[in-house]
Amino acid sequence: MAEMAGDAVRESLEKYVGKPMGPALVAPDPVNVPMIRHWVAALDDRNPVYLDEAFAKMTRHGGLVAPPTMLQVWSMPSPKIEGIAERGGSPVEMSGDNVVRALDAAGFTGTLATNSELDFVRYLRPGDRLHTSTELESISNRKTTALGQGYFITWVTTYRDADGEVVGRQLFRILKFDPSTIGVAR
Amino acid sequence: MTSARSISPRGSEIAVGDELPPFVLPVTSTVIVAGAIASRDFMPAHHDPEFARAQGAPDMFMNILTTNGYVARFITDWAGPEAMVRSIKIRLGAPAIPGQPLRFSGQVTRTSQQGNECAIEVAVRAANDLGDHATGTVVVSLPLA
Repeated sequence: MAEMAGDAVRESLEKYVGKPMGPALVAPDPVNVPMIRHWVAALDDRNPVYLDEAFAKMTRHGGLVAPPTMLQVWSMPSPKIEGIAERGGSPVEMSGDNVVRALDAAGFTGTLATNSELDFVRYLRPGDRLHTSTELESISNRKTTALGQGYFITWVTTYRDADGEVVGRQLFRILKFDPSTIGVAR
Repeated sequence: MTSARSISPRGSEIAVGDELPPFVLPVTSTVIVAGAIASRDFMPAHHDPEFARAQGAPDMFMNILTTNGYVARFITDWAGPEAMVRSIKIRLGAPAIPGQPLRFSGQVTRTSQQGNECAIEVAVRAANDLGDHATGTVVVSLPLA
């Protein structure tokens, strides 16, 4: 993967690095059994610690816990279905100045998720109410990839409970690429 | 389908090189939509084939929350109810699409004692005929004894 040293687009993005990507959010609902039941059925996950309270009490969990990978589910915003296709599939209306929109505007309209790194500090229990904040960690230099030229954008979401204790983190990396540059050498 | 075990192995019974029982997920439209909606992900690429194709994907495809959920399930089906998943770090590749079964495989790459529990690192892979859908590392802990 060829790499280009600093360029004008990359320099214009520097102001986003290390900054929050939008406001901190409070999960719309606390961790709850109905949503756990829905998830467990959808993924056919038979681990009894998610729904069998008597069983869960006998394990080191000491009671019901949520599937760890539901971490992000609790903070998903309520979708706005009307107009979703017109917004390019975005379930929420994006507003404000944001690195993804800046790259879209600069022609890097393609998006490919490349990495997800989840850390679970503790298992969540019904009643936990999550608070999230997301910070842009890094932006790569411009790279030439199989999909065209683009930038790798990495952000980290921190999940806290009602006491402010960190319960989990997710690092997420996407490639924002310009589809018209596929096969263009630099 | 594998089924979850109701008793966990002891951490001390796990050794580097152990293979996890393989798991094949028959990926269907229903599997993808069920996971997307249970994870409250309403992006059309995860339920609308025409929308996904217009974006250049071969078909509608599984969302990342569901992929992570199946990776965790693959681990805890093996490690049992005493398991605590500590981290899941994956690189994303080929899309998981209807009609392409996902084959999960895993191998223990490291174990370390931490107090009265054992941290177990597992290299995981979920692949279909298009290539590797997800590859990476999961760390799970079990009581030592």
